[in-house]
Amino acid sequence: MRFCVALCLAAAWPVAAQHEKEGEKPKHPFIGDAKAIEAGRTLFGGGCAACHGAEGQGGRGPNLRERVMWHPLEDDTLFSAIQKGIPGGGMPAANLPEDQAWQVVAFVRSLTSPAYENPVAGDVKIGQELFWGKAGCSGCHQIQGRGGKLGPDLTNIGATRAAPQLREAIVDPDADGAPNYRGATVVLKSGKTLRGVARNRTNYSLQLQDADGNLHLLSMAEVSELTLTKGSPMPKDFAQRLGKPEIDNLVAYLSRQSLRPPEPKKKKEESK
Amino acid sequence: MRNLCLYLTLMGAASGQVRFEDILKGPGENWLTYAGDYQGQRHSALKQITVDNAGSLTPQWVHHIAKANGLRTCPIVYDGVMYITNSNELRALDARTGRLIWQYKEGRSKKQDVNRGAAILGDRVFFVTSDIYLVALDRRTGAVLWQKKYGSTEDGLYASAAPLVLKDKVLVGVSGGDTGMRGYVTAISPSTGEELWRTYTIPAKGEPGSETWGKYVDYGGGATWLSGTYDPALNVVYWTTGNPWPDFYGGDRGGDNLYSCSLLALDADTGKKKWHFQFTPHDTHDWDAQAWPVLVDLPYKGSPQKLVLHANRNGFFYVLNRVTGEFLNATRLVDKLDWASGIDAKGRPILIPGKDPTPEGTRACPGVRGATNWMSPSFNPSTGLLYVVTLEQCDLYTSSAKEPEPKKNFSGGGAGPKPSEVGQFFLRAYDPKTGERKWEYPMTGPGESWAGTVSTAGGVVFFGDDDGQLVALDARNGKHLWHFQMGEGLTASPMTYAVDGKQYVAIASATAIFSFGLFEPVRPVALPKIKIE
Ligand code: HEC
Ligand code: HEC
Repeated sequence: MRFCVALCLAAAWPVAAQHEKEGEKPKHPFIGDAKAIEAGRTLFGGGCAACHGAEGQGGRGPNLRERVMWHPLEDDTLFSAIQKGIPGGGMPAANLPEDQAWQVVAFVRSLTSPAYENPVAGDVKIGQELFWGKAGCSGCHQIQGRGGKLGPDLTNIGATRAAPQLREAIVDPDADGAPNYRGATVVLKSGKTLRGVARNRTNYSLQLQDADGNLHLLSMAEVSELTLTKGSPMPKDFAQRLGKPEIDNLVAYLSRQSLRPPEPKKKKEESK
Repeated sequence: MRNLCLYLTLMGAASGQVRFEDILKGPGENWLTYAGDYQGQRHSALKQITVDNAGSLTPQWVHHIAKANGLRTCPIVYDGVMYITNSNELRALDARTGRLIWQYKEGRSKKQDVNRGAAILGDRVFFVTSDIYLVALDRRTGAVLWQKKYGSTEDGLYASAAPLVLKDKVLVGVSGGDTGMRGYVTAISPSTGEELWRTYTIPAKGEPGSETWGKYVDYGGGATWLSGTYDPALNVVYWTTGNPWPDFYGGDRGGDNLYSCSLLALDADTGKKKWHFQFTPHDTHDWDAQAWPVLVDLPYKGSPQKLVLHANRNGFFYVLNRVTGEFLNATRLVDKLDWASGIDAKGRPILIPGKDPTPEGTRACPGVRGATNWMSPSFNPSTGLLYVVTLEQCDLYTSSAKEPEPKKNFSGGGAGPKPSEVGQFFLRAYDPKTGERKWEYPMTGPGESWAGTVSTAGGVVFFGDDDGQLVALDARNGKHLWHFQMGEGLTASPMTYAVDGKQYVAIASATAIFSFGLFEPVRPVALPKIKIE
């Protein structure tokens, strides 16, 4: 399994950014709204999940998270796909009352927009205790300068990942192929052994980072043997070790990790 | 031998803390500030590349940044790791191979503007986002430690300068001087992100200096979009300020417009202004003073002096006493200079009437890009020469008395050359003691360069030319030694560093970082033995 830098670079910012940049047109007020998303979740469960999966992960119908990720659909396009269906494509028209259709759009959006912009099911406080305690996450991950250094920094993870991605990262760490973080053991020709993660590598050089965070920038001419983990060096058994509520709580805690707090929602449309 | 070097590098990696004392040493293997040192000399002690062997420089690697928009970054190198910036983004590269180690991207920034580079101290690297946050990252892993917002885009500001790190402060500035704003320099704690002091470049209404403005003093400009230099013995920071606003229409701002187009000497501990020197009082040609204040100690008119050299956009080359701010001398930097006949004994320009912009257009020299600009000069203590990229150009300056609208990108007119009068760039070597031009090297190109210089103890001066080439000249006489065509325009200055005893010269092109070194045949690398577990 080779890993590909181009892909990693693209993956470093996979969430369709939902922020109002200068000059962007305003969003429908339901987008990011807790009540609307919850109502949308119920509607989705009833009318869409049978084909698209409860979390939009796909089934008879396509995975709505990936599609939107790589080629984001406009909210309006999503709205009309829901209302009119996709003729000849096996996607029926839902013909919902307009408000309900927007609730579904809000829910589908929440599957791909930054986790911190959306309401979460779990308990943030309990998730925090788990992260820094029993679950052992902080042994490998940093948040705002505290914690272990082997794994990725999670200070901004709520702003850069959607909630389903956070869940997947915990229960199925290999799903993303662990680009830039394959576990690596290096035996140097000098006899020395180094351990850590391969932040990058080619046949000619290896950029190794150890668990203390130190970098070892090696020429492969100095390496006598390199052992890589198949996927992520993150434990693969959290799904078994932790119950669903505990994972919900961890996702809730991670979803609040953003150095820049969410900007207050502008209420221009509603107040008129 | 290479084994030993590698081992030492590994040992170095384990110890690594960038100390203030390391920065004081000036550039050798490492290059720790935008200008390499605190003095702005950009002179490296490295001498593997010499006048005799520069001809065999070859590219060692290229790191491309897709969709980069005119990279302005000057790389920082510490312990074999290179730090470069793009808009809202910092990358750590393996300085020997150009491979990416990590990247940090701030996708939530409300602006996408150019960025001039990073700063480093302790175990941290710093850079600013376009929407005015100072970001602190773990220099090894890229983990973000904090972000500090120190200004608001709603005030017509953005940020682009490389921060300047002192012993216990990170100094940052703001951009946006063409839109009606008020410039300042802010000091922030490198450990906590706390703001320590802030000094405005334009006085508030009622403060001394505010009488030199008309009605728009609140939006006077004086942006601080380039890093400063620092004298550790005096504990003084030298920071330049940008144009007054509106740029080309001075009718509503009668007076000198302090402290625009000036050099400010600030107490590093408090930010208090020790002295100022205004190069262009009441500027109407957009001649920001953003050129590097280069600090040198030289015998001057018979006695050793602490000097600051400043090749200014307005066409003159200034020498000041950097302890007192006393004006010592000014000479012509360029030939095309017609707005002032000279500089008087106090340091004020002797104006030639009729050179202000008008609605129909007034031809004046230098052009709006200036006789030089923020492209880095360098100073070689052995030759005693200052190397400056200069532009010979005249522009047509127009003005508009339309009611200015602050923060709305209104500059009160405009400027540009006639197509038949596009300017020409030169690399020139000046003797600071006399202001005399010792040699010059003419360039070809469209008149659009922003690339500067780096000087080395090997006796070579490198600069980016106006046609996308990195060029090496003999620092003594300007004789050509080597050049390399990088395929696109250059908007950044070169620097030099060493890893494992090999010297490299690096420069950003518009979309890539290039690194060069002396030719060595590539030794075959056997395919690695890799086990997957
Ligand atoms: C009977 C199964 C079925 C149901 C029920 C269903 N879909 Fe679909 N959906 C599909 C299929 C099949 C496609 C692919 C159509 C094509 O691309 O030709 C699709 C496509 C889509 C797309 C476009 C995806 C893309 O990649 O362009 C969206 C969005 C979507 N569905 C949302 C919904 C929503 C929301 C609901 C509930 C209101 C829903 N679907 C109900 C089967 C279904
Ligand atoms: C043994 C070290 C280790 C432990 C313990 C660990 N992780 Fe990880 N984690 C990693 C590494 C390495 C990666 C990067 C590779 C990958 O994507 O799986 C990672 C990736 C992640 C990601 C994805 C980050 C991204 O940028 O997308 C999340 C989220 C995450 N971990 C959360 C957790 C949580 C929550 C726990 C505790 C339940 C935990 N980790 C425990 C090492 C660890």
